[in-house]
Amino acid sequence: MAVSEAVHDAGIHIQEVEAGVAGIYNDIFEFQAIPESGFQGIIGLQNKPLMRVTNGGATGAYAMLAAYNMVASGQYDLMLVLGVEKALDCYDYEAESNTPAVVQTIGYSWDPWFERPLGAHASESYAEVIQAYMDEHPGDLAPMARARIVELLCEHAQNNPYAQRLGEKVTADQVLHSRYVVYPVRVLETCVYTEGACALIFASAEMAQKIKERTGRDPIWLTGVGAANEPYFVGNDITRYKVLHRIYSDHVATKQALQMAGITIEDIQVIELHDAFIPQLMITLAEMGVVPLGRANDLVEEGIILPGGKLLVNPSGGLVFGGHFVGGSNMMSTWSAMREMRARNFEHGLIHGTGASLSMYGVAMVLERRA
Amino acid sequence: MAQTTKRVVFTKSKTQKSKITKTKVAKGTAQKRTVRQSKAQPKPVISPAMLPMQAISEVQGADGVYLQRNDVMFTAMKHTQGEFSDFFRALRDQTKVLGHRCPECRHLIIPPFMRRCPACNFVEMKKEYVRDTGIMVATPVITVFAPSRFKGQEPFGTGRVFLEAADGKMSDTAMLVRVRTTRGTIRPGIYKKGTPVKIAFCDSRQGEMLDIFAVPQNELTPRQLARSPLLESEIEWGRISETEFGKPTPQLEKALKEAIVHFQKLAEMIPHSPRATANLANWRRTVSVRTGGGAFGLVLDQGKLQVLKEGVKDPDLVVAIQDPSTLLAWLRDCTEPEGDTVKSPALTDLVIEGTLILNKPELETVTRLDRVPRSLRRDSVAIAR
Repeated sequence: MAVSEAVHDAGIHIQEVEAGVAGIYNDIFEFQAIPESGFQGIIGLQNKPLMRVTNGGATGAYAMLAAYNMVASGQYDLMLVLGVEKALDCYDYEAESNTPAVVQTIGYSWDPWFERPLGAHASESYAEVIQAYMDEHPGDLAPMARARIVELLCEHAQNNPYAQRLGEKVTADQVLHSRYVVYPVRVLETCVYTEGACALIFASAEMAQKIKERTGRDPIWLTGVGAANEPYFVGNDITRYKVLHRIYSDHVATKQALQMAGITIEDIQVIELHDAFIPQLMITLAEMGVVPLGRANDLVEEGIILPGGKLLVNPSGGLVFGGHFVGGSNMMSTWSAMREMRARNFEHGLIHGTGASLSMYGVAMVLERRA
Repeated sequence: MAQTTKRVVFTKSKTQKSKITKTKVAKGTAQKRTVRQSKAQPKPVISPAMLPMQAISEVQGADGVYLQRNDVMFTAMKHTQGEFSDFFRALRDQTKVLGHRCPECRHLIIPPFMRRCPACNFVEMKKEYVRDTGIMVATPVITVFAPSRFKGQEPFGTGRVFLEAADGKMSDTAMLVRVRTTRGTIRPGIYKKGTPVKIAFCDSRQGEMLDIFAVPQNELTPRQLARSPLLESEIEWGRISETEFGKPTPQLEKALKEAIVHFQKLAEMIPHSPRATANLANWRRTVSVRTGGGAFGLVLDQGKLQVLKEGVKDPDLVVAIQDPSTLLAWLRDCTEPEGDTVKSPALTDLVIEGTLILNKPELETVTRLDRVPRSLRRDSVAIAR
């Protein structure tokens, strides 16, 4: 369905597509090793290359980065990028619930010798970074600022027909009174871990021009890309180890992408960022340079991301309301940013993906709409 | 057929209750296997309760009714610790923490997650034991709802520690450990960034990360602090008796009476709710509830709740809370529901915030009680006010 909608939206025939990249995170969730093998004929890429990318939570963003490079290298002019994920087949028969089995399955991404046996799991890993940031910047990531962002994303999601929590109403007060899943993160501050698929078409400049002629729509250009993975183990030297209170990968990736595009963060009008957890969204925006580190409350208190503010953040509702189907959620973010850029006549947008233990992996991409 | 020789080696530690059996395969073969046997009853890696029975059911799908099969993704593992075995053996047999130091840049890493230093073009690192004292890198994280394989351990805290080298300097990397407190269950405020900690060792060790844990140095006596290794059995646990509430005030005594009345109402309501009864089924606990207004007891047994005004002797669990009125909001959600939503904070939140202190890390009694308000609503059980 996702591939069908993407090719029809782009005004192309699937047979024109020369190659594909499939973003799929975790084989256990898919209940199959090399799950992409089953796609080949179904998505119409028989006898063409389909490369799977898997890079933790940032799988979708890395899949797009791979496709960008395959087109930019000149090898292919027209590519399909497909993000797919299942998750909810995992089931805890003792608890009679999916959730403990889903978080356990994500926990299998952790180091099996030194960390996993201690009970490492998805929320705990991000909460470590959040807690360390709060140690470093006491008073920042204030509960009310976080709750207000959840409320804002909920409002945004009502404009996203694909949002998995479309029609839901969550208030800041409900957030403040929701349960802790792992201290200091509350359940309504977490993304909705879910299933889904998203497909995008990547084209060379020449092919993009043809698509424009067919559809009458200007293409959105990818003018800057950046990526960085921090080291796994925590230490005190940011050049050699993961420094716990930073999401340095987001800082490096964004800096690279902006530099390549020849713009600054001030030029960005819409950011679709990977909000695994709301406090992490705030840290990431600080790492990107939207506000200084330690001043993330300003995003709300200064109205920066509120309606009428200078920056539109996660108009899709983000992963918290749009849904985090890992392989494809960063692609949903890209679709949403493109849609907003066209609808609001924005010139620059930024896409972001993060993932892996302690939010180690970071990807940023600058989108440009040329008048 | 190859002949084998067997010898039994007991570990040096007096507290170690297990033995190592080495089976040496006859000369000429490459195989050598060391098997550690525990005197404790072996436990299955996967809890039998986790294993599904073969069945096919029907569920509502996006475009019709789907068939759904009970299944597993099943791969049993014999998972070697490989080159990290020296580290785990040091934990198990020597009660020491092993690190690696680069002879060129002098960086000291714990745990010894690599043998060659990439910053120095992969020069071989040297083994070096570190002290059992150090500091927290950051405030630890507290897990309330655990993944499947860690159920029954919550709430538990995990955090990273820098440990001291022999020269007193801290390691350059930090090690993830479980963090514990001698004063009830783990909760915020016990640890923060920079808290001095001591690594303690479990009396019975397997050669894994759970053989060790951190305790705050300020909870230890000078003698305990000086001991190395410090064993789990040498620490006094569950010291919530130190949580003194002072003389009860009339206000606190009144709140206590009110809480007891609401618990009694709740006890009357539960048998009328199949869901609430199921919430408490297969769980037996006597609980002593200590408050600033006095003590009382709860008994959970056979899906029922019983309230004891006089308290409990030798309880399975001790719960301490300064102000009994803190429980009233939760109790009113049970006994005087308004609308469909639960308004009070969950009891688990009170535990995690440190308002409700448990004498041991056993959250299940609390999580079972936490399900009751919603169950009563779903079964439309209410009593006349």
